Amino acid sequence: MSIEIKDIHKSFGEDHVLQGFSLYVREGETISIIGPSGAGKSVTLKTIIGLITPDSGEVWVDGKNVHTLLRPELYELRRQVGYVFQFAALFDSMSVGENVAMGLRRIKGMTEGDIQKRVSYCLHIVDLEGAEERRPAELSGGMRKRAGLARAIATQPKYLLYDEPTTGLDPVTTTTIDGLISRMSDELGVTGIVVTHDMVSAYEISDRIAMLHEGSIRFVGTPDDVRGTDDPVVRGFVEGRPELSRSVQV
Amino acid sequence: MAPIQHDVEDSELELRGFSAPVRSVGHWVIAGVGSVGKGGHLAARAVGTLRQVDIWGPRLVPLFVTIGVASIPIGLFILTFTGMVLAIQASYTLTGTVPNYFVGALVGKTVILELGPALTALALAGRVGASIASELGTMRVTEQIDALESLAYDPVAYLVVPRVLAGMFMFPVVTVFSVVVGIVAGWLTSLAMLDVTTPEFVKGIRFFFDTYDVQFALIKAWSFGLVVTGVGCFYGLQTSGGAEGVGHATTRAVVVGSMIILVLDAFWAAVLL
Amino acid sequence: MTQGRELVVGSTIIVAILVIAVGTLWLQGTNWGRKATYVEVLVLDVGQLTTGNPVRLRGVSIGSVASITVDPGGDVVRLGLEVEGAFDLGDPVSAGVIIAPQSLFGDWQAEIVRRARFPQFDYFDVPAVDQNRDTLVIGGYAIPDISRLTAAADEISQNLSVLTDRFDRAFNEQTVDQLLTVIANLEVVSSEIRNLITQQASTFEDVSADVARAADEISQASAQANTTFREVDAMLDRGDVDSILVSVRSTAANIDRVTAQVNRSIGGLDQTVARADSAFGSVQRLTSRVESGQGALGRLLLDSTLAVRAENAMAQLDSLLTDIKANPRRYVRLSIF
Repeated sequence: MSIEIKDIHKSFGEDHVLQGFSLYVREGETISIIGPSGAGKSVTLKTIIGLITPDSGEVWVDGKNVHTLLRPELYELRRQVGYVFQFAALFDSMSVGENVAMGLRRIKGMTEGDIQKRVSYCLHIVDLEGAEERRPAELSGGMRKRAGLARAIATQPKYLLYDEPTTGLDPVTTTTIDGLISRMSDELGVTGIVVTHDMVSAYEISDRIAMLHEGSIRFVGTPDDVRGTDDPVVRGFVEGRPELSRSVQV
Repeated sequence: MAPIQHDVEDSELELRGFSAPVRSVGHWVIAGVGSVGKGGHLAARAVGTLRQVDIWGPRLVPLFVTIGVASIPIGLFILTFTGMVLAIQASYTLTGTVPNYFVGALVGKTVILELGPALTALALAGRVGASIASELGTMRVTEQIDALESLAYDPVAYLVVPRVLAGMFMFPVVTVFSVVVGIVAGWLTSLAMLDVTTPEFVKGIRFFFDTYDVQFALIKAWSFGLVVTGVGCFYGLQTSGGAEGVGHATTRAVVVGSMIILVLDAFWAAVLL
Repeated sequence: MTQGRELVVGSTIIVAILVIAVGTLWLQGTNWGRKATYVEVLVLDVGQLTTGNPVRLRGVSIGSVASITVDPGGDVVRLGLEVEGAFDLGDPVSAGVIIAPQSLFGDWQAEIVRRARFPQFDYFDVPAVDQNRDTLVIGGYAIPDISRLTAAADEISQNLSVLTDRFDRAFNEQTVDQLLTVIANLEVVSSEIRNLITQQASTFEDVSADVARAADEISQASAQANTTFREVDAMLDRGDVDSILVSVRSTAANIDRVTAQVNRSIGGLDQTVARADSAFGSVQRLTSRVESGQGALGRLLLDSTLAVRAENAMAQLDSLLTDIKANPRRYVRLSIF
């Protein structure tokens, strides 16, 4: 089972964000989508779990066409997908433990004890042992991101979508998060899509890297492919030399 | 060539100047109809998710407290002074021509039928409606609502349904306390400041009292609860654009909520009285 | 935490429900389960009495109206009164219930009274079936309220307007013209009658003056005659024949003169009577014209009671005339001898 995005278009007003975006994500791989801010990376992720409906095109997740599903089926599907939000999006009316338990409470047959055990375990994985009773507002940015990750993995999803998981974090925390993403993939066999513009992380965690440029995929390849590419747009982004991509456009 | 170009620009400017008010009317009508449509959609979804009791059920009690119990003091405060003013004004208006017990009748009837439910609802539109809109708006702009969706929670079931139910259930409760306090305030004012005795006041209240008044007040309070919480949820969920968007949503929720309360108030008066 | 919240919410809601229940009952004026007696009242009409209105006995509120139902058939209204405590009315037949406004502001009450106190009201007679039931049943009477008085006034005013309408239709221009003609005719009649009477009066004045003058002359003549006769007598007594003869001659001459005077007087009288006759003749002419229905006056008099009266008056005048002619002395006092 996998994720397949077929030729999606999406406009917000006059801003044509996605223009024929297609991507096939293999089962078990971790793929990074890189691209400049505002290129539509987050929109792509939200389209995958049906938070945003594309103007045209299809998204297939786990063999289901996401945007034709009825609401209950969609929610059923979303249980298979964990989503790590850019700013964690923790429910600030709840404690960290309750945040992590939220997804678990939707699973029938789990006792309160099971839930608490699972919450502790997930917090342990992200190095937040004993933070159950703390409030999201008391946490630092890195801790929030880790708590968000714990919430996303709590239900043992088959797919994990990371929206800029390392943006704005210190190098140590970034390394921790990168390690976590790699562990998800290696130990749990989770299929992951990471939206990022942090190339260090992308090289570190990705099986493949896709470059989003002007609404569609410009380039897909392994980290080594990226390093060796001649594509000026990719090189311009990767090497932080915008003049390269500008020479293409002219 | 140049002068002709100039003329064209002029006429375009003129056209724009003339069409601007018309276009703004069109814009507001379309926006209004769009809001009604979206509101109807939200209402339909809320009804559709009513059966997801496992999602909204546990949320009810805390919301009963924040929407209902915590709103009682403001209701009492408003109706205390309203009751006093009513008694004094009634006595001022009726002096010399009408028996004293009409002070009681006027205070009782006005507080039960109109001012109790309506003023409480207007106050709660500020308190409850604004807090719902800002809370949901903040959740929207910080992606917490997307997070709910991603965790397979229907935000309507999780956020809207329990709030609206709490509003529909607790507004009548708050109104009951407000009405009682309003009448008591009117009575104490009559005793302390006016030449109205307790038996006269009581006679006045009882004289024009009809059991239907209570039902009328409760129906009104119930519908106001629905409107205040529903409008708050609607504008909260519609929020976009960060902190400014949250502020905007909050303002809209209070203004539109209050307006609908007043319209609904007139509607109930026309339909039920 | 959760339990505490539930406690707060639960107690708030329970208190609210209690407030609604107790408050409603209190405002309705419940007797809080105290012993109450149920009394029924039969009445033709209840005015604006509603359930919850007070029941009074000698002005004291002793209960409230619990139910108002129209009996099957719709002939009578049955009120259920809830009266506080035990209630013994004695003889229910002599009791009555007056349903009346309590004040001008639309509040009504049912007052239990002895019928003898307010005998002017038409209390409902409780049929025997109801008298023999366990429940106390009293006949009642509802005093017409302002609205009904207004309705009555309305009816009266409607009748008045119908009447006015008919008057309007009767008194059109033609009627007014006719009326004006009648009035004008009456003026003519009265002036004619006035003329007639003036004529009559002057005639009578002339007659009486003539008569007076004649009477003076006659009395003068008779006085001379008396003197002459006395002289003749005295001369006969004295036996003075010569002088008697002389006197006789002079006496005869005097008698001649008297006779002539009297004759003249009589002639004047004739003239007077003739004048009167002509006056009466004009009256008769008028009367005959009236009787034959000539002119507006005649028409007026012919078709109205005035005509009859005028006719009577004419008849009286006629008979008066006849009487004067027949017995002028009754009207003209003459004493000749």
